[in-house]
Amino acid sequence: MISLPIADAVLTNARGGGADFAELYVERWRRRALRTIDGKVEEATSAISQGGGLRLFFGTDVVYGYTNDLTEASLRELAETLLRHRGDDRARVDATGRGGLDLRRTRAIGIHAPDVPFDTRSKAWRVERLRELDAGARVAPEVRQVEGHLLEWEQDVVVANSDGTWIDDRRVRTRLAATAIASDGAETQTGFYGAGLSMGLELLDRRSPDEVGRTAGERAMTNLRAKPAPAGTMPVVIGNGFGGVIFHEALGHLVETTFVAPKASVLSDKLGQRIASSVVTYVDDGTTPHGWGSSEFDDEGAPTERTVLIQEGVLKSYMVDRRGALQTGYRPTGSGRRQDYTFAPTSRMRNTFITPGTTPRDDLFDGIELGLYAKALGGGQVRPGSGEYNFSVVEGYVIRHGRIEESVRGAMLVGKGPDTIMHVDAVSDDLSTEPGMCGSKSGSIPTEVGQPHLRVSRIVVGGEA
Amino acid sequence: MTFEAAKDFLIRRAGERSIAAEVLATSERRLSLSVKGGSVDELTAASRGGVGIRVVVEGKVGYASTEALDTESLEWVLDEAVENAALQHAEGAVLVAGRALGRHDLLGEGLSAEVADKVAGVLDLESGLRADARVDVVYQASYRESEAQAVIGSTAGADGGYRNGYASYSATPIMKLGDSVKQGSDVDISKEFHALDPNQTAHKVLERVGRHLGATPLGTGRYRGYLESEVTATLLALLLYSLSGKTLAEGKSRLAGKLGARVASDLITLVDDPTLVDGPASRPFDAEGTPAARTEIISGGVLQSFLHNSDTARRTGHTNTGHASRSYASTLGVSPSNLVLATGTGIDVSDGVIVTDLMGVHAGANPISGDVSVQGLGLRVTGGETHPVDNFALSFNLFSLLERIDAVGEESTWTPTVGMFRAPMVAVDALSFSGA
Repeated sequence: MISLPIADAVLTNARGGGADFAELYVERWRRRALRTIDGKVEEATSAISQGGGLRLFFGTDVVYGYTNDLTEASLRELAETLLRHRGDDRARVDATGRGGLDLRRTRAIGIHAPDVPFDTRSKAWRVERLRELDAGARVAPEVRQVEGHLLEWEQDVVVANSDGTWIDDRRVRTRLAATAIASDGAETQTGFYGAGLSMGLELLDRRSPDEVGRTAGERAMTNLRAKPAPAGTMPVVIGNGFGGVIFHEALGHLVETTFVAPKASVLSDKLGQRIASSVVTYVDDGTTPHGWGSSEFDDEGAPTERTVLIQEGVLKSYMVDRRGALQTGYRPTGSGRRQDYTFAPTSRMRNTFITPGTTPRDDLFDGIELGLYAKALGGGQVRPGSGEYNFSVVEGYVIRHGRIEESVRGAMLVGKGPDTIMHVDAVSDDLSTEPGMCGSKSGSIPTEVGQPHLRVSRIVVGGEA
Repeated sequence: MTFEAAKDFLIRRAGERSIAAEVLATSERRLSLSVKGGSVDELTAASRGGVGIRVVVEGKVGYASTEALDTESLEWVLDEAVENAALQHAEGAVLVAGRALGRHDLLGEGLSAEVADKVAGVLDLESGLRADARVDVVYQASYRESEAQAVIGSTAGADGGYRNGYASYSATPIMKLGDSVKQGSDVDISKEFHALDPNQTAHKVLERVGRHLGATPLGTGRYRGYLESEVTATLLALLLYSLSGKTLAEGKSRLAGKLGARVASDLITLVDDPTLVDGPASRPFDAEGTPAARTEIISGGVLQSFLHNSDTARRTGHTNTGHASRSYASTLGVSPSNLVLATGTGIDVSDGVIVTDLMGVHAGANPISGDVSVQGLGLRVTGGETHPVDNFALSFNLFSLLERIDAVGEESTWTPTVGMFRAPMVAVDALSFSGA
């Protein structure tokens, strides 16, 4: 994609123009997507995307530029444009910028490499797997329509910077998802389920299409039979796996230096303090083999790591990228990530989860007179400055007198993250993780969320008043 | 190779292989500036573009795209598109007959100011925000501009292009009063840099966010709801899923079979008009080269039309309304341009809750069923007094909400949603709010 002499020339040019640090990120993607409706191919797409991003630091100020044209002339012009726009007296070209640049190449060793590469199976084979997904989703006659999605991403990345870093990484990801629509004539409800890992088509052996479809079908049927959710403030048991999205949004984003450094997080300056209930230990791990959010290097060329964010309720670390480290002095954690070359990296989550506790799952429901069992959550949103969040419950049940009773739909969990995390009063031992796409300042990136079943003593539940 | 040359290359190669093909090439230049503490702390200058092909082989459609413009990548794109078409089950697709569409410039010189002037503008925005003592942190004060060119060509004779763009200021202050902390954002968009006023943007967002300071929880219950213009636009934009010809063709629209029937209160008239002179999302033609025209969607509560591209029109037996959308990397879809909800005779705001902000609309809405449960911020109105309220969720069914709108405001503003949406305030009785 790019040769070492070109990278050397561009970085040297940028340093010579007065930048304290220069970083070149170059990537090429090959992506395919297949979408079926009722087992028939509705859309099939293939795409190449390719580009390079150049990031220059002036102290902690950043200028960033990107282009699809990876020729030396184009990249040099990009560097010149950035230096010119910077527009102050530091941006002067001189011959001393070389600064002993010495690029040392490090290659990924293939921890997350695929066993079944994309080119080893035909497109017809893929369509057949999506038909299995379709069949799996038809759990009842009311399931009227089934949509299947298969996404395949191959991304080759080079990061070179003026500290002498040069890394080559290859990231291969596969995602299989099902949406089922169930209708009884009067009501129409949907159910969604998706699997995704950093691997090739062996994903479809590990997570059978039939099972992915069935989960979506069952969720649609549960929602079809569901009654409107109760409204008010009540205890909530949150399911394992994708239930972890609530703490991803309401806690994870708040401990990224992207928000912490400018004091735009309510959890800024809280290192070493108790910010969560003592039953909560929260980890962000970029190294999980084949994890959906794993990679050997982050998008700044730093090795990824397992970072303990909160240990027994005490804030131990933020997620820190290069700029965040410069701004705050906190240790970098290999957390610099971006959607693609069109974004400068910021500190982001990788695979983030609450570690297992000791309460048996069934005991979580004991003593709840009226509550909500949010077995599966959909998406949500948070405002880091205030910590306010909201999440939709895509599979929910009423808890009465300690028992799980009828299914409910349309529930929304609403609150303030730092408040909610203090009210987690019991954590079970059934940790699981699920893939998702996380959107933030540096774009949409694959991340895993996860947790065991856990109980929050009070959350506002939006439903029918 | 340039994007235009890549487009021509693909059309020529498709022609040589007797493949019906439509090629869209877009390129975009962007500039963004963010300031912090009186100086630019982030600047992005960029160019990006790509070429996407849509082929029709034996009535089946296939897609592929590339940002790499070397011959090998372009040949791969053509091969993949043909292979993708072969997988398709749906047949009967045709490439619409094309025509010369001309070259249009919808932007002019609106972005031609010096970068230094733009820096000065965004610095004014930041100092405008800082002038308010209640501002704890200016999380974001930024300027963005984009200039994009699109060209379309097909083996069926379509050939045209246009240039468009915008400039915008956006601001996100975090404000504090005692223990109460509120964060909010606002964006002002224009095709003319000089038409933007950073002080006005600052003033507006301070007003919008500051009025929520000191908010108390809203008690669970049913209240008369007054949806501010942006809230109305955001919620009614959810309706577009069901109004899309694509949703209809795929059998997922709740509005299927309702053409000519009442689907909303008779106060509701909704139009999409890509020809509006002052429309931020105006366009001379759509992504298939169909010339732009005004579409009445709902008139006096009665459903008049869905939004269609040539494919969804053919599949549903309706008329193509010229709403094809596609970027080089996406498949053919349906998108609105300038949506306008007609203004009414005004609203007398009395007892109830003015809903000013929504969060989590995307996550909290089921576009198929229309069930919506979203977090809100608002102002409780009782006996002529208003008081900020927070930490509540608003739950309703979109289709029933539409029928229950009983008053519509006199003034409307543009909100960026899917496309741009100009909507007034609307009022609805007995909305379900859950809170403390």
